[in-house]
Formats: sequence, C-alpha cells, structure tokens
Amino acid sequence: MTATDQSQGGDAGGDAGGPGGGPGDGLEEIPPEPAGFLRRHVFSTDHKVIGRQFLFLGLSFLAVGGVMAMLIRWQLARPGVPVPVVGGLLFGRAGGLISPAAYTALFTMHGTIMIFFAVTPILIGGFGNFCLPLLIGARDMAFPRLNLASFWTMAAATAVLTASFFVPLGPPQAGWTAYATLSTAIGAPGVGQTLWVVAIYLNGASSVMGAVNYITTVIRLRAPGMTYLRMPLTVWGFFLTSILNALFVPVLAAAMVLLFFDRVFGTQFFVAGTTVGAGGDPILYQHLFWLFGHPEVYILIIPAWGIVSDLLSFFARKPAFGYRVTVAALVGVVILSTVVYGHHMFTTGMSPLLGESFMVLTMIISVPTSLLFLNWLGTLWRGASRMTTPMLFCLGLVFTFGVGGLTGLYLADVVADMYLHDTYFVVGHFHLIMAAALLLASFAAIYFWFPKMFGRMMSEALGKWHFWPTFVSLNVVFMGQLLIGYAGMQRRLYDPSVYEFLRPLLPLNRFISRAAYVLGASQLIFVVNFFWSLFRGQKAPKNPWAVGTLEWTVASPPPHHNFDRIPVVVRGPHELGHPAARALGKDWLGQDEGPVRPSADNATDGSTDGSPPDGSTEGAA
Amino acid sequence: MHIVLPHDASLDGHLVDGVIGYLTLTTGLAFLAVLVFLLIAIVFHRERAGRTRAHHTHGNRPRDRALTFAVALVMFVAIDVTLVARTAGELSGRFWRYPDGDPNALRVEVTARQWSWTFRTAGPDGRFGTGDDVVTLGELDVPVGRPIYLKLRSRDVVHSLYLPSFRTKIDAIPGSTTRLWFQAQEAGRFEIGCAQHCGVSHYKMRGLLIARPEGEYHDWLARAETDSRLRGDAALPVAGEADGWDWETGR
Repeated sequence: MTATDQSQGGDAGGDAGGPGGGPGDGLEEIPPEPAGFLRRHVFSTDHKVIGRQFLFLGLSFLAVGGVMAMLIRWQLARPGVPVPVVGGLLFGRAGGLISPAAYTALFTMHGTIMIFFAVTPILIGGFGNFCLPLLIGARDMAFPRLNLASFWTMAAATAVLTASFFVPLGPPQAGWTAYATLSTAIGAPGVGQTLWVVAIYLNGASSVMGAVNYITTVIRLRAPGMTYLRMPLTVWGFFLTSILNALFVPVLAAAMVLLFFDRVFGTQFFVAGTTVGAGGDPILYQHLFWLFGHPEVYILIIPAWGIVSDLLSFFARKPAFGYRVTVAALVGVVILSTVVYGHHMFTTGMSPLLGESFMVLTMIISVPTSLLFLNWLGTLWRGASRMTTPMLFCLGLVFTFGVGGLTGLYLADVVADMYLHDTYFVVGHFHLIMAAALLLASFAAIYFWFPKMFGRMMSEALGKWHFWPTFVSLNVVFMGQLLIGYAGMQRRLYDPSVYEFLRPLLPLNRFISRAAYVLGASQLIFVVNFFWSLFRGQKAPKNPWAVGTLEWTVASPPPHHNFDRIPVVVRGPHELGHPAARALGKDWLGQDEGPVRPSADNATDGSTDGSPPDGSTEGAA
Repeated sequence: MHIVLPHDASLDGHLVDGVIGYLTLTTGLAFLAVLVFLLIAIVFHRERAGRTRAHHTHGNRPRDRALTFAVALVMFVAIDVTLVARTAGELSGRFWRYPDGDPNALRVEVTARQWSWTFRTAGPDGRFGTGDDVVTLGELDVPVGRPIYLKLRSRDVVHSLYLPSFRTKIDAIPGSTTRLWFQAQEAGRFEIGCAQHCGVSHYKMRGLLIARPEGEYHDWLARAETDSRLRGDAALPVAGEADGWDWETGR
C-alpha cells in the first residue's frame, strides 16, 4: 500500500486536528532535488542528508571517545606500564606511558567528546533530523537552511575542539565540567582550555538552532490528522528535548561567555581565592553549569526514552501501554528536570534549606520516571515479542536504565551523597544512564532505521553478535564502577594506589578494564556490520518491520521530498495486534491507513479498551 | 575480590552506612521484582509457534492506570518518602547540627591549595592568630571523642576534603568558607583525600588524619606547639591573609 492511495482513502475527519498551516490537499508543489554534488551531499538542506551527516560525525567521535576510555582504563589497571600498541604513537615522548597531564586531558576530553560530540549528534542531530519530518508526515524541517547552519556550526565546533589538542600547554584538563577556578587562568593557563570554551559555545549554538527548528517543525508541519496525541513517542521525545535545549543550552552559553571573558579579558566573574586576590564566585559557575547540566541529562535521555517506548511497542506487537500516561510522564520529567540540579552541589556547603529542597525535588522526579518504566513493562506484558536486534538493544536499555535510575537515589540523598559524592559511584551511575542506556538506545535506533536511512538491511546475525558482548561487558564495567565507588575510590585519580585504602581495589579495577576492552572490541562487530550492510546489505523493503508509522509508507530510502502526497493521519502510531487488521491478513494498521471497517474498528476498540485507541478525541492543543 | 566500605572510625558514619544499606535493600528488592516481571515477559510472551498474536490493549483503561499509579506510588512511599524523612532527621539532628557553642569542640582552620592541606588549631590559648597556633601540613591531629569542627578555604581552585573512614566530605572553595564537623570514635591513622579534580596532581593530594586518645593528644599538642612556635608557623600566611583568618567570622 502506498502513501498515495492511502491518503485518498483517508478519513476526512482526521483533518480536524491538523495544524493550521499544514498542506491542504497534500498536492502542493514538490521542491525539486538540487542537482550539484555539493548541494546534494555536503551543503544539503535535506533533513535526511543532514541527519546522516550528524550520525557519521557522532559515530566518528564515539570511536575517538571510546579509545580514550580504553586508555583511561589501561592507566587504572596498569599504572606505570606503557600502553601497548598505540602507546609509542600517542605518548612517544613519555616512552608510551600515560603522564598525569595526559591522563587529565584524556578524562576531560573523553567526557566532553562523548556528551557533546558523540551522543548529542547521534541521537538528537542524527535521528532527530532524520525521523522528525518523516514521522509527522512533513517534506522537510520548518527551516531547512537553519538546519544546514546547525550542522556546519557543529562541524566548526569539532574543528575547534580538535585544534585544542595541538596547542602549547596541551589540551584542556579541567574535566568535562570545567569547574572554575580550575578552568580559569589560575588552573588552566593554556590556549587549549580557551578553545574548549569556544567549542562548547559553538556546539551549544548548533543545538539551539536544531531545537528551534525541531519545535517549529513539530508545531507547524504535522500532517493533517497528526494530533499531538497521535504522534509517535519518538517525536514526543525529540519535541520535549528540543524545548529543554532551547531553554537551557543558553544558560551554558552564558557560563561559557563569562568564562571566556575571565580567561581572555581578565574579568573576574568566577575567579576568586587569595592566590590572585580576586572577588568573583566559583560557585556561580557551578550553578550555571548544572542549571544546564541536569536538564542536559534529560535532554539526552528523553529521545532515548521516546525511541524505546515506540520500539518496545513495535516489536512486542502491542500498542504502547498507557500512551497518554507516558506522554504525561515525559512532560512531568521535563518540568521537574529544571528544578533538581542542586543535587550536583550538595558538598559545596549549600544552605540546609536549599539542600533538602533539592533532595525532595529530586526524589519526586522518580514518580514520572517509574510511570514511564512501568508502562514499558506493561507494553511487554502479554505481547508476542519479536527478538530482533533493535528489540534486544531496547530490552538492554530497560535493564541498564533500571539499575542506573535506582542508583540515582543514593546520590539524591544528602546523607549518602556526603560519602558517595565525587566517587566512582557517581561515575558508574551516570555511565549507566549517559553511556549504557544512551548507547543501547542509539544502537537500537541505528538497527531500526538503518533500512530507511540507507535502503539496505543490517545483518541480524551480526547485530545479535554485537548485542550480547556489548550488553554484558557494559554492565560489568559500569556496575563495577559502582562497587569501586562504594568502596570509596574518588574520581579522576591518575594513580589510586597513592591511597592505602584503595590499593585492595586494583584487582577489581583490572577486571573492569578487561571488560572495558571487551566492550571496545565488540564495537568492531558493529563497524563491520555497518559498512558491510551499507554496501552489500540486502535491499530494504518499504516496511521491513511491519509497523504503522509514516516513515514506513515511503520508499527506503525515501525520495528527496519524502511524501509524494502528504498523508492524512487517522490513528495513533501503535496499532499493532489490532483485531481489525486481521481481515487484511496482518497484525498492524498504518497511521494513515483508511478505516478498514469503521464499525468493526470502533466496536473492537470499545470492547477491549475503555478509551479510543488513537487519541482521536484529543484536539491538537 | 573483597569489596567493602572503608573502616568506619566515626561517631555518625553508621548513619551514612545505614542509608546506603537501606537503599541497597529496597531498590534491590524493587529491581528484583522488575527483573522477574521482565524475564517472564521476555521468556513466555515472545512470538513463537502457538503465540503469534499479542493481547491487544492500549493500557488506557481506568484499572490499567490505577495499577500503574498504585505501583509507582507504593515505590515512592516505600523508598523515597521514607528515605527523605529519615535523612531530614539525621541532617537536622546530627550532620547539620554544628558544634558552634560547644566548648569541647576542637576548631580547625583548613586551607587547601594545589596540592596539599594545611591545618591550623588555636593552641592552648584557644585563639587563632596568636603565637601558639599549631600548624601542620598534610596531617590533621585530633583527639578521640570530641567533636572536630573544620572551617575550610581554598587558595586557588576548588578542592574537596574527603574522609572515607568518617563517611563525609566537604568542598574547599576559593572566596568562601565551608564547614564540616565529625567525631572520631577510635584512635588510629586514617587517610584524607581530595575528592574534587583540582589539577594535574589531584591524585597526590593525600593527607593523614591521626586520632589519639585525649591524654596522648595533649602530649602531642604540647610538643607540636613548641615546634610550631620554634618554626614561627603562626606567622605563616595561611589562606593568604598575613595573620591567618578569623575562624569565627569567615564568610
């Protein structure tokens, strides 16, 4: 069934919820595809091309950040032993040894790259761009040229960040959080830290451009009938994330501007201490950083939640359990995420009232989060799950997110945090969320949308070979870090054996490192699968996963203009296992598929459920 | 591999361990329940011969929602609310009840710098900034059984005084003064760490806390006071101000 004949049969009633400026009959002029190579593949305004560009950029930096993680793990497992294979190349002057300065630069750049230059471009830049217009039935983003600018600003940011490796006094070393005053001229006099500030600023500018574009696209360009409550949860995820991005990345930008002034023009916003006799406030930097930084955690995880909520439903062959509760929970998390950041600062001596308030607010955020989580379980329950590769990665996320989320409670508690703060417990906790859960979601998204992106299937067998070692080893690594932190080891120690009480932890650190090498090596399976599938993979059909969202109604890969005719949406995104579909010999109904048997359709819905399944009663707010 | 908490030598460390233990128990049980549910769903509710169709529900019925909300609420009350109540009591009753008026408390000025700790006590006259101040570098000497009340400043970057055997830490921040109190319940040598990344030699910023019984502490203090006086330590620019800083009124 094609998009064209579906929309002809579409129920006109669905138009009621369509956005005002939406395409009327779906037949307005289709913009021609640009002809030149540069305009098609490099400076393209096509969201699908930009999405792929972000994806490749993010995956490249994921590899760089991953290698850095391996080097960090080498140092923790074998302090004082030259790095094998790459040691001579990277640390030649030190005889292959990682020096304390190199180690400091490694963990600084590992964090910076992974958060700002790997996960952000893969999930938000890559899949946000690729999916949003296709999933809501639009021909492109609302502002295609802003989209182009967003990618190339990100590219400029990566260039500046890369340059910081090659300047006098070396790369930035103040940690990815770049706390003042360590990140000011007092602690980091080199040019590298200044370039870091510029790179983060540019990265933020790129994110804000993307955010404004995504928000506008979702509000203005939804296809007729695509009410807010018929949007796939993936779209909800990107939409809400963009709102947080637009609100809080500017706070980070402000911090970066002030830090830049402190470093370059000699202002003293954050500079204090008797060494320099200045009267600024380093804690102000922490407030600004975490006012952005905690929403940032949700900025990254909410798209992952959205994707996983959709994919669990698709592969369990069941509608997403409690769709509206899930949406409400996501909105609740977004709102609460703006008022919890103080739990990063419990040990700065904040006032008791403030400390307890942040603790209580942080605890409250566990309510919407558990609703979301319980709905995932509800989706799986009594399903007929197909254990495809994307499904395995989603289930992996459910597991690691469970552990990661629950360990957050320890750190939200002021008393436990007095001991656990700045230990490896924190490292393990946020890696379970920011690394494990986000990577699993990214891989799920790649395996799921690869056919639509590149027109070829990825190998399922290699995908499963990729999943199992990845899943096992990343849990060993990050849960091991939780244990190391429980035993008291601080973060960012070049050589923990300086402390007597940490010496017994060396065997565990070695074990974690070995698991980390397995985790790193397992990704080679993915690289092979990715490139092999890209060129030799089986040609992808239009709808390989047999699901009903709009991107699967067009060719794989979609034409330049996505939809020959803008589809008319008549139901929600998760009509799987639908009794009415059985008459058609399948178990799913497309979002734009005309009512097969309207009366039977309604009757079945009414009998199995208390409310309309497609959210048709809800208007487009 | 033997993964344990560091030895607890403090008066209130068991409260911290108690919270951690409580959380491990409750979240462990909750996660176990989730895991069982998940495993059943994965093993038994998967597509195979004889199970080709999923149960069709949107989970939007009132009883579906009631169940979801009930489970979330039970977990919230059992874990979060209980925890907050317990923690709030411990904070106001112990950790945040600073021994300001306690004449028995030992007051210590802590100055952090890259990459060492300086500790200054008032000496026999009980006043800071006088000739009998006792200044030690990298070593904090305390008596057992008395509250130790620290006020901290940093000369350069943010550091964090970390006492694993006392289950606590507090940042030392340039430009402001932070405080911390604890009490040693047994004599011994315990490590002091820096928990906040403070530059390339952060890992070397180790100190030692030596807790002695009251009598031994007094002997030590007498010796240290003489040493300090001979070295002229009291005149050392601690935290940059020529005469140390006024412990009581620090910002």
